[in-house]
Amino acid sequence: MVSVIDVQDLTMVYKAPLREAGLRAALVSVVHRTYREIHAVENISFTVDSGEVVGFIGPNGAGKTTTLKMLSGILHPTRGEVRALGAIPWRREPAFLRQIALIRGSQPISGPGELTVLDSLRFQQLIYEVSDTDFKKSLAVLVEMLDLEQLLRRQIRALSLGERMRCGLALALIYQPRLLFLDEPTLGLDVTAIQMMRRFIATYSRETHATILLTSHYMADVETLCKRIVLIDKGRLQYDGRLEELAATLSSYKLLKVAISDELCPDWSGYGEVVETEDRKVALRVQRDQVAAVTTRLLAECTVIDLAIENPPLERVMDQVYREGIA
Amino acid sequence: MRRILHLLVISTQREILQWLAWRAFLLTLIINQMVAPLIGLAIWSVALPGNHQISTYYVALLAVQLMTVSYENHTVANGIYDGTFSQQLLKPQPVILGPLGTNIALRVLHLLFGLPLLIIVGIGMGTTWDVRMILLALPALLLAAILRFLFTYLLALSAFWSEQAHAIVSFGETLIFLLGGSAAPIALFPANLHILGEIAPMYALLGFPAEIMSSGLQQSQILSGYGWQILWILVFALALQLIWRSGLRRYTAIGG
Repeated sequence: MVSVIDVQDLTMVYKAPLREAGLRAALVSVVHRTYREIHAVENISFTVDSGEVVGFIGPNGAGKTTTLKMLSGILHPTRGEVRALGAIPWRREPAFLRQIALIRGSQPISGPGELTVLDSLRFQQLIYEVSDTDFKKSLAVLVEMLDLEQLLRRQIRALSLGERMRCGLALALIYQPRLLFLDEPTLGLDVTAIQMMRRFIATYSRETHATILLTSHYMADVETLCKRIVLIDKGRLQYDGRLEELAATLSSYKLLKVAISDELCPDWSGYGEVVETEDRKVALRVQRDQVAAVTTRLLAECTVIDLAIENPPLERVMDQVYREGIA
Repeated sequence: MRRILHLLVISTQREILQWLAWRAFLLTLIINQMVAPLIGLAIWSVALPGNHQISTYYVALLAVQLMTVSYENHTVANGIYDGTFSQQLLKPQPVILGPLGTNIALRVLHLLFGLPLLIIVGIGMGTTWDVRMILLALPALLLAAILRFLFTYLLALSAFWSEQAHAIVSFGETLIFLLGGSAAPIALFPANLHILGEIAPMYALLGFPAEIMSSGLQQSQILSGYGWQILWILVFALALQLIWRSGLRRYTAIGG
């Protein structure tokens, strides 16, 4: 496999002004400014192979967007090396820029809002030097996949958030970039739009073999689209591996979901930490190495009519990781 | 080069469409640009009654003002402040194309909307025009348009370092008003300030083309004025390149 992204010891340090509260401190800061260093990203290293869809996750302020900005060429790192599609991103060579797209859920479209979506697509065609034949081919595919037919003649300013996101994707993909940075692509979308977006990204990646680095706070996005995740927190790499191994690696417990037919429920806390209980059903949080023993006890002591052992939901694992860190 | 020109034309068309949607705001901008030359016209017409050349000068100045307006403090500095500038960095085209397209679009619209008033004032003040001088003024007008864009763009790039780019551009506008021939024609400056006024970039980007149009300059003065315009364009283009590189280094180092 060829590495499309190769990141070595990437570090980004900002200097931010700092002062105490109050008038005196404000006056002092006029002549004597003090700064503190913010280590947004620290010594991150990872590679992404061609065609991979990688979830780049972490809590707010972890350094995800800063990293995406460095990989796309907007930011120049303080230290470290990056090669994306063989180029150094912050040199912003046209040949590199023609092959990448950064799509931000918070700002899916930029440019004049009075123009129609088709006007803007035509402008992209010019900027990215897409031939008429390729443009028509790509447009037909995108219109079909993103259900854009009714939107092409609409003005951008009159689009809803979901429509903006769909059009933003079309604008970014009309020139068929080989490397996509998706920064919270489902931010603020309704359930239907989220499902559509996920289906689209999965299909696009499968059909074009584009390499995708995706950040999202919705774990369902990551679960649906990414086999591998890169987890960062406080600017440092915390985990890089397969998604299904994440729960096993990061979580020391499993969920036991039990339904019994007994009239009287036992004291569930004797078996594990009660996560939720309803009627004669319970979800228990049990240490991984005690699952076999607890299951045996349950089967011996209760009339179990249903039992399931599951990894905890990713949302819950991530919540634990964000709060407590990785043990 | 052909592609760049094509992109510039398309970019200008897009911006014209965009700004037409903000008609009311556009109108306030145009009126604001017309106020200073009209005040100058009123004051100097009273101070020098019966002088048709001064009326012609101020009407010409009004036209130059409308055809050279620059708002890079809005179009460039605001983009740096709100982060939309980052999107421009990702496009495989020179970043300056966007602001330049907006600049040309706004000048076209200023002239279009301002033209009726320009004609009314011109006729009302009994202005007289020499076609030969107008033709001579055209290169000066083009150079002034380039110079004013470079001047305002350079000041607007202070947004890379400061949150006060609007104030800095405003200060530049004040200098243009005082030294560019708007507050008073350079010919009426006190003798010791006259030379300074003639060689300052503010005169080259505003008053000089207007003075040619109003037949206020000798041929040698016109040639020397072209020279100063070209010199200032080179100086500002060089300064812009240096400031741009330095500003971009800062922007990409501290975040967009």
